[in-house]
Amino acid sequence: MHILLIEDDAEAAEFLVKGLRESGYEVSHAQDGREGVQRATEGQFDLVVTDRMLPHLDGLAIIQQMRQRSLSTPVLVLSALGTVDDRIRGLKAGGDDYLTKPFAFAELLARIEALLRRSSSGAEATRLKVSDLELDLLARRVVRGGREIELTARELKLLEFLMRRVGQVVTRTMLLEGVWDLHFDPQSNLIDVHISRLRHAVDKGSENPLIHTIRGSGYVLRPANT
Amino acid sequence: MSAGPDISASPIPVRVARSRGAGEKVKTDLVNTTAFRLSVGYTLLVTLAVAVTLGSAYLLTQSLIADEVDLIIDTEMKGLNDKFTRSGLSGLTDEINLRIDSWGRVGAVYLLVDEHYDQIAGNVEQWPFKGMPVERRPEFTLSTIEPGRRSSHPVRAEVRTLPDGNRLLVGTDISQGQRFAEKFRVATLWGIGLSTLAAALAGFWFSFKLAHRVGDVTETCRRILAGDLGRRLPVAGARDEFDALAIQVNRVLDRLEDQTRTVRATFDSAAHDLRAPLHRLRTRMDALLLRSPSLEPAVHESVESALREVDRLQRTLAILLQIALAESGAPLAAPMAIDVGELADELVELFEPVARERGLTLSSTHSGDTTVHGNRQLLAQLMTNLIENALKYIPAGPGGRLELSAARLDRCVRFVASDNGPGIPPQDRERAVQPFARLAKGQETHTSGLGLSLVAAIARLHRARLALESNEPGLRVVVDLPLEQPD
Repeated sequence: MHILLIEDDAEAAEFLVKGLRESGYEVSHAQDGREGVQRATEGQFDLVVTDRMLPHLDGLAIIQQMRQRSLSTPVLVLSALGTVDDRIRGLKAGGDDYLTKPFAFAELLARIEALLRRSSSGAEATRLKVSDLELDLLARRVVRGGREIELTARELKLLEFLMRRVGQVVTRTMLLEGVWDLHFDPQSNLIDVHISRLRHAVDKGSENPLIHTIRGSGYVLRPANT
Repeated sequence: MSAGPDISASPIPVRVARSRGAGEKVKTDLVNTTAFRLSVGYTLLVTLAVAVTLGSAYLLTQSLIADEVDLIIDTEMKGLNDKFTRSGLSGLTDEINLRIDSWGRVGAVYLLVDEHYDQIAGNVEQWPFKGMPVERRPEFTLSTIEPGRRSSHPVRAEVRTLPDGNRLLVGTDISQGQRFAEKFRVATLWGIGLSTLAAALAGFWFSFKLAHRVGDVTETCRRILAGDLGRRLPVAGARDEFDALAIQVNRVLDRLEDQTRTVRATFDSAAHDLRAPLHRLRTRMDALLLRSPSLEPAVHESVESALREVDRLQRTLAILLQIALAESGAPLAAPMAIDVGELADELVELFEPVARERGLTLSSTHSGDTTVHGNRQLLAQLMTNLIENALKYIPAGPGGRLELSAARLDRCVRFVASDNGPGIPPQDRERAVQPFARLAKGQETHTSGLGLSLVAAIARLHRARLALESNEPGLRVVVDLPLEQPD
């Protein structure tokens, strides 16, 4: 997987490049907007991570140029602005995800993974299955090892979000955004409580828990015994 | 501030209220426009003027016709009277017969009767009155049978008792004059009607056109307030006073847009300059934790706690930036239809488990269509701040309660968050919405003191009216979000 990072802050860039390489990605780095747009439009990257404010050419302009050339490469926007309308502008310009600086590296990693997987996944299935956990979205029915599980509508959505990203680390912010459509950070440990409720419903009494906590990052739903 | 019942009992009207209603769509019923009222007045004036002119012409003409008839009658009466004086009854009778048979004037009526009103001479057989009429110029209707049809003629006459006791009537068929007067009257009425219609049509067209142009201005201003800063007033190219006004207003708007852009650019670079070092700081600490898994547990722990502080700092910064953005007068970002009641339900559901752990009962109710035009993220943040405040300030343990409610009022959706916590004393309420105001002295909580000021900033961005009240006991926060028609 080849990632293009467009970032003018040398120190932040160096850390990101190193961190991403250590995580197994091939990374190219562009230092300003002009270089960034040139390389991004060459089109051989699986993902572009771009800063919002860049010398010479704005991050949003880069995305627009890419989209004009029908490049559907997913783009993650990193922004130091972080206001509500800046996020909207970023997504409107054709960005696929938006992350406000400063962010935890784990957050970036989880989002990169999500974007890369998303671009390779096909049409949305209405029946999801992980090990002995089955979710029928049409019937709104959850079964674990033959035992039916009662879930609220929101818990169902939460479980669906995790099952669609099986094996991927999902951060609290990603859950807030994806399940509750909230794009800001409440101060409380809200998500943890909801996850623990879901876990209680899904994994209770099971020898092979599916939902795992990843320290410092978030959660992951993994098939049993892997 | 007419929208919604005014809550002026004890609560302080927070300064958020200043631009209340500024961007509401102003309904311009044509009937309510000045132009319409002016043109109604103008129509009435035209009608009056035409009616007076034509009416007096009519009356004048009518009296002229009557005068002419009277003059003829007078002359004839005088002639016949002279004849009687000179030649007696027989002379008068001959003269009357002569005038009837020969080329007399058209429509002349003569009748000479004795004291019993029996005909002596004349072209009318019967005395048309009962006795002698009192009026000077009595009028009567004469029925004649002309070949083929029966017709009646109005006659104006003069009667006189002759010295010998006989009575003489001299009259004139005035049907022609009356027909003329009738035609004149119809023409007059038509004239009044048509000119009223013309004036009304012109007035209506005028007021419609005026209302349309003023409506354009109103609508443009509304859109600009709603965030479409690039919009300008239309210039029709007619070089009239409206174009002059539009050109001047557009200049003001140009400057305003310029300033907004400058504010935005300044804001963006300030945000960037504040966040970039924070980002580098966080990155370094992240790198330290990632690269050195073998850190001493104590060091590891302190780096992690420093990271948490950075995150808190970032949150505070985000709120401050949001407040600054609202204060800068920047328009609301991406407004759309948001159901306030539904959003409150969702947030209550999100916070409910955490609240329950603290012994706080969270609930939400809503009634009516509680949809407003707003930004979902910001409204959610407003509610989140109120909920987090309640979690922070209401003592842990059973009995604590926070109720969110949304209700549709006449011109707004009223969102209320009421709790039974310690509340805010009246003298502190105004200060509570200022950034970094710490109210309860010595309270050791991790509050940034920004919660309510962010609520105020978001309310202001939505042109909502915010009031902090006593919930007796507790705090009651009322946010009146104006209804606004979507475009």
